[in-house]
Amino acid sequence: MKKRWLILFAVLLAALSYPPSWYPLTVRVKMTEWFGAADFRPLPESLPVADPDPAVFCPPDPAGWRQSHLIEGVNIRPSRPCVADNPYAVASLVRGTNNVGQDTLLRSGLAADAVEKGRDLDGDGDPDEIHIRLEVAELNGGSPLTPGPVTAYEIAPGIQPGLWVFAPKFVGMAVENFESNQARRSLRLPSPAIRIEQGDTVRVTLENSHYMPHTLHLHGADHGFTDVSGEGNDGVPITSEIPVLPGQARTYELSPRHAGTMFYHCHVQPHVHVMMGLQGLFIVEENRPENWLQTMNIGAGLVRAPSVSVRDDYDSEYDLHYLDIDKELNERIQGENDPRLITRSMHRDYDITDAATDYFTLNGRSFPFTFRESLLVGKDNERIKLRVVNGGAKGIALHTHGHKFTVTHRDGVELPQQTLAPQDVVWLATSQRVDLALDLSNDGLHSYGPGIWPFHDHQYNGVTNDGIGPGGNISAIVYAQFMDEGGWPQTRGVSWDQYFDPAYYRKEIPVWEAYAPGLFSDTGADWLMLLRLTGLMLAAGILAAILLHALVNLRRS
Amino acid sequence: MKALTWLRVQRSKTGLMAPWQLAVSFLMILPPSLSGQESMDHSDHSGHHMAVNPSGVVMNENRDRLPRGCPEISGDQALTIYAGRKYARDLPGIIFGMSEHEVQVEPCSRVKVTFVNEDSVRHQWMVHGLPKYLYPAGMFHIEANGGHTMTGTFIVPAEDQTYLVHCDMEQHMEKGMRGQLLVGSGSGDLWSVPGISANFYRSDYLPAFAPLLLVLVSASAFILSLWLAKRHS
Repeated sequence: MKKRWLILFAVLLAALSYPPSWYPLTVRVKMTEWFGAADFRPLPESLPVADPDPAVFCPPDPAGWRQSHLIEGVNIRPSRPCVADNPYAVASLVRGTNNVGQDTLLRSGLAADAVEKGRDLDGDGDPDEIHIRLEVAELNGGSPLTPGPVTAYEIAPGIQPGLWVFAPKFVGMAVENFESNQARRSLRLPSPAIRIEQGDTVRVTLENSHYMPHTLHLHGADHGFTDVSGEGNDGVPITSEIPVLPGQARTYELSPRHAGTMFYHCHVQPHVHVMMGLQGLFIVEENRPENWLQTMNIGAGLVRAPSVSVRDDYDSEYDLHYLDIDKELNERIQGENDPRLITRSMHRDYDITDAATDYFTLNGRSFPFTFRESLLVGKDNERIKLRVVNGGAKGIALHTHGHKFTVTHRDGVELPQQTLAPQDVVWLATSQRVDLALDLSNDGLHSYGPGIWPFHDHQYNGVTNDGIGPGGNISAIVYAQFMDEGGWPQTRGVSWDQYFDPAYYRKEIPVWEAYAPGLFSDTGADWLMLLRLTGLMLAAGILAAILLHALVNLRRS
Repeated sequence: MKALTWLRVQRSKTGLMAPWQLAVSFLMILPPSLSGQESMDHSDHSGHHMAVNPSGVVMNENRDRLPRGCPEISGDQALTIYAGRKYARDLPGIIFGMSEHEVQVEPCSRVKVTFVNEDSVRHQWMVHGLPKYLYPAGMFHIEANGGHTMTGTFIVPAEDQTYLVHCDMEQHMEKGMRGQLLVGSGSGDLWSVPGISANFYRSDYLPAFAPLLLVLVSASAFILSLWLAKRHS
């Protein structure tokens, strides 16, 4: 009978191909007694790794935006890192887009009514009537025309989560040019840091250019529950007003009596909308004479035209906006194009109570892009003011290497002098703000001396890009002597090549390949093991078929 | 005995040695008494002869006391063992290595071991299972600080036997510093000696496509055999 031979063949095949390392322990011990330990078989060789294909670390600055400028009478400070703000936008945001020349306005890219500045109400030499217009923009969104995200914005090499931002009112195209899919340079995460002066008469018009309802909530900033006409002014759908629907606009009013570092965000379905990026720093500066403020700091970071009070006490000022991102939420705007499907997906299917965040941004970028634009650059003995907000879902434990900073304000309120003490980790709960004084005096306490000193969230997920480190919100305090002319810090550690290769964050490059090639690489296959298992599965298939056949025959007979 | 960690796990459940565990202790070439109930406390060196100097440690050196069964020292042998990262490089999947993972000496010979540590961290050349009346806890042990060389001498027993040699720094044996000392023709190989014998436990190293391939193979065999069986019945 042929079947008998087939059974014999299958059983023999199974016996021969069964891996000896899978035998029961007692059998293995007995076999060792009889035959000794098995012969050496080398482990598989390491697989070769392709050389990294890095992006340019430090993009060139042909327009000279990094340099100091004097535009429209506004002194704009130099920005040492590679990527700097548009100085014409800075000048327009200081003077008011209604008060600058046509050439400056064109170069700024801003609309003529983006930030209108009116009368000097208190006669102290600066405008006190401020009208800010914000739009709502979607970055890395979906499209029925292209597979990839549109109005593309990378937070790190190859990483493009869908984002919503409050954006300054620009004119013209959202992308760099007609052939490009890239968001224009000033259209970015985070929503701009807004600066107004204590006592100013401020109007903020939310022009909802997005396809979903939104509001503006001025978190921590002194504002009335209703405006002068009795309309809701708190931005909260359940208590103050109907949200601003697509294509509509609403103006919020405030004249804050108290100065400090505050926050603004959308209050529609905040567990989704705030997480999507609709949040920004809202800073109320002390009322000082001749205090021309940079009403928006696009992309946060270095304040290139700081206020009078900051100039009095500090050498420079930076806005630091931390935000973490849950890719399972943010990718929901990329998969569908129908707003009904997106709304269902984001507001009913997505469950934030089961969520964990994956990307951790500082000023809209994650490492290594943070090193392009979010370095804190200073000189020995300088004092730097940092205004920090944690807009993310999780708390952050902000830590500085080489320095102990002093928390001077918490949630926009100055701390009593006698409570101030230097520290090197500060906890920021979600939406909390701190103002920090960073002192670059090499006294062994405030600073340990010149260098390239990282600062980052010391919660360990915060220093990864979706679990791959280094990533997240790592940036650095860099002393000027450690910066090269082009704006890149003269680091002396691992090559930057792999970190600027998207393959690294796609988990395709072994993490230590750059300096220990082969030692911790991916392993090749054990072909003998695969052959054994193939034989085993072949035998199993044959035996199962014969068994089934026999059973069927048995039932028939 | 890290060599027997898994054995210990088993034993700790029962408190007793199963017959197979006894057998395994033989295959690891250790006297049952040592690997059995009697545990060896590495932190208590009160019974050991320790010689400590800035370069390292020699423990239980023995230049003249004869093992039982040895009428005299059969001869003097000198070994030089180099240790460190660079001796692991020709074998994939290990981190630390020794220049010789297997050494062979004459029974009753006096062996002078020069242990050269080329790394910048401590390494050890530790022999287990020697007669306890000469070597407390059955050990002869050389330890060299990073960049240092230590020399020690001991006299091996009369019987042909294989002894475990390893570095007992945490994970150093597991990651490559495991060897064997053959007295005479030895008593068989130990498991998991790099270059000499297979790992007792080994990962499968299957390629990513293996699950799909295996499912396809068994499904094809199943269908083909069913078809064959039908045709012939």
